[in-house]
Amino acid sequence: MIGVLASGGTVIPNFGQGSSCEVNNGWFCSEWVRAHWSDTLQPALLQHVELAAIAIAIGFVLASALAFAGFRFRLLDPPIGVFADFLYTIPSLALFQLLVPFTGVNETTVEIALVSYTLLILYRNMLEGLRSVPPDALEAARGSGFTRLQTLVRVELPLALPAVIAGLRIATVSTISIATVAAFVIPKGLGQPIFTALQQDVFKTEILTAGGLTVALALCADGLLVLAQRALTPWTRVGRAA
Amino acid sequence: MIRKHTRRAAKAAFAVSLGVAIVLGGTATAATQHRAAAPTIVIGTKNFTEEYVLGQLYKQALQGAGFKVTFPGSFGSSELIDTAITSGKINFYPEYTGVIVLDLAKEKSPKTAGATYTAAKKFENTRGLTLLNPTPFYDTDSFGMLTSTATKLGVKTIADMKKVKSFSFAGYPECRTRITCLLGLKQVYGLTQAKFVPLASISVYTLLDQGKVTAGDVFSTDPQLGGTKYTVLVDTKHIFGFQNVAPIVSQKVLTAAGPKFAQVVNAVSAKLTIQAMIAMNKAVAIDKQTPAAVAAAFLKANNLG
Amino acid sequence: MTLLGDQFRPGTFPDALRFIWHNAGFLLARTGEHLELSFAALGIALLLSLPLGLWLGHRHRGLFLAVSVSNVGRALPSLVLIAVGLTILGVGFWNNTAALVVLAVPPILTNAYFGVDGVDRDVVEAARGMGLSELQVLLRVELPLGLPLVIAGIRIAAIFVIATATIAAVAGGGGLGEVIVNQASYGLAGVVGASLCVSALAFLTALLLTLLLRAFSRRPDPIS
Repeated sequence: MIGVLASGGTVIPNFGQGSSCEVNNGWFCSEWVRAHWSDTLQPALLQHVELAAIAIAIGFVLASALAFAGFRFRLLDPPIGVFADFLYTIPSLALFQLLVPFTGVNETTVEIALVSYTLLILYRNMLEGLRSVPPDALEAARGSGFTRLQTLVRVELPLALPAVIAGLRIATVSTISIATVAAFVIPKGLGQPIFTALQQDVFKTEILTAGGLTVALALCADGLLVLAQRALTPWTRVGRAA
Repeated sequence: MIRKHTRRAAKAAFAVSLGVAIVLGGTATAATQHRAAAPTIVIGTKNFTEEYVLGQLYKQALQGAGFKVTFPGSFGSSELIDTAITSGKINFYPEYTGVIVLDLAKEKSPKTAGATYTAAKKFENTRGLTLLNPTPFYDTDSFGMLTSTATKLGVKTIADMKKVKSFSFAGYPECRTRITCLLGLKQVYGLTQAKFVPLASISVYTLLDQGKVTAGDVFSTDPQLGGTKYTVLVDTKHIFGFQNVAPIVSQKVLTAAGPKFAQVVNAVSAKLTIQAMIAMNKAVAIDKQTPAAVAAAFLKANNLG
Repeated sequence: MTLLGDQFRPGTFPDALRFIWHNAGFLLARTGEHLELSFAALGIALLLSLPLGLWLGHRHRGLFLAVSVSNVGRALPSLVLIAVGLTILGVGFWNNTAALVVLAVPPILTNAYFGVDGVDRDVVEAARGMGLSELQVLLRVELPLGLPLVIAGIRIAAIFVIATATIAAVAGGGGLGEVIVNQASYGLAGVVGASLCVSALAFLTALLLTLLLRAFSRRPDPIS
């Protein structure tokens, strides 16, 4: 290694040159992507998936509970809806920072905020789904002697499923999108490479690659859910053909 | 007869067991004490390139010397990382002496680098923390502009700017009210004609390149300063203060880790000259190497890894 | 994950309120910047997508476009849009405005389409039968009836735009985000204070549009 002897006997090794594409801030330097996939992009992608998955899972559970409550006890619906809408209106960056004095600068804060944003969509869609079950189906169930629980599990839930999955699709895509902002709080997720790139004189390759990955992730997740819906609700396809 | 034998045997067995227990217990205690004498160093950094490099340098050097190190990553601004170390979340991070004195201790800037270090150390000692040796390099604010602009205006020192009728100066928001920044330019150098343009995560160099400002608050170890495109005007009156880096470490950890710990860290710090930092910052920011790789190469070249 | 972090500092909220009090003028100026950017973007987005969405809905054409625009639009993270805007257009007013326009168009377009498309076809036929031109049918029958959905779309777009204008601060967008992303300068108290302000701004805007929505939901059937 060629060393440069500076004052105090410090040796400055040759750290290696960036490619001309990198040094001149080209639009897409594939050598950068290849070199930094495993140390920057892949970890960020995995962190992003983790952040989003936890938020969607918790949000789904919470929203389901709230939707049931709103469905069974009609009086609860307006307040829950208003509260969820309230959370949804707060800008994501602001919500993260408002939580920091309470829960600190860590994943917990980020997850609480991400969950809040899923609640409105999931709650509304699930409630809508439960309410959209045709009365004839309920009548038929009662006529067949189903108990309340059986009606719920074998009639209402399956019929509500399309609306639920529709809501899940929207919530998933939104969560993946909002999770980029998490990088303002903790150095995790696909927002972090974008941040670093903005600091380094707007390094285009990193921004476009990380951004592209986020969009691709969202579209993939959406696609998977569409497939899941087709698999879980085959009768909707038949219905359309009829 | 048999009972006597059994009793003696039992006594012997007991004595032997007791002996073994004492020996084992003694070894175990010694072992635990030895293990307790090597605490885990938890290193944090702030969230910009230079800090990432410094973090990696100290982390790898300590690991190479046999210490157990965890590196939870970056913690954001001084305020946030200060909370992290005072709350025990981390026990080591590289900080700038001037930042400690001005921002954390909220005192006035001392007149020399040495005085700044002493004041910083004094402050941290009151909080159960202490400073290891400072680095030769300092990373102060500086008055930077495009070399072409400097040539056109015919300026070499900040005092020369007095002859420029009006100019814009970009800096971080807190620069506006600091005697070590814009306020100093206005009051100490008499540059009342300076128009302040606040920054927010956009690099000063981007603004300089796009011709949006005449000059800006740059930092002495910015990688861009390694070339000839930008130039820094001489701060003859030292308004920008002193900002050598000194690792802050918890006093408890320092004593528990033994003398080798400070030796290793100080050996690394001693090698960090301005040219070295500029070169390392450039390698990360412009040549897109990772901080870890750059730190590893530097340590190896200087026999510190 | 402990719920109350070791950095539990509720005392930040009184500090934040004090920050707002002491820096009221400064925050008001930032709010002005924030609104300027948001309104510009929203205005341009309305110009571009409202007429298009209404017309497509009227002709019952372009369902695929309306739905796809919505799906893709939702998948575009705001930070990415801001960063890409900065990459392409450099620092200034237009890089952030363009990014915000891209964000605002999908909800406006989609809701305009469905608002008009979903109007009862019989009512529309009756209007045509009365001799109204296509444009008159759209403006005097379909739009009034579809207005709730249209305004709901504008409301969503407004919320997105105000939220993302906060992030635009990292690309020179100024506004209240300028404080929130600069913790090093303004301290946690400042950041929390500005967060409260921008939340209030978002609520007021959403409230205004909700009231507008309610006002138009009660309009009687114009054909009766």
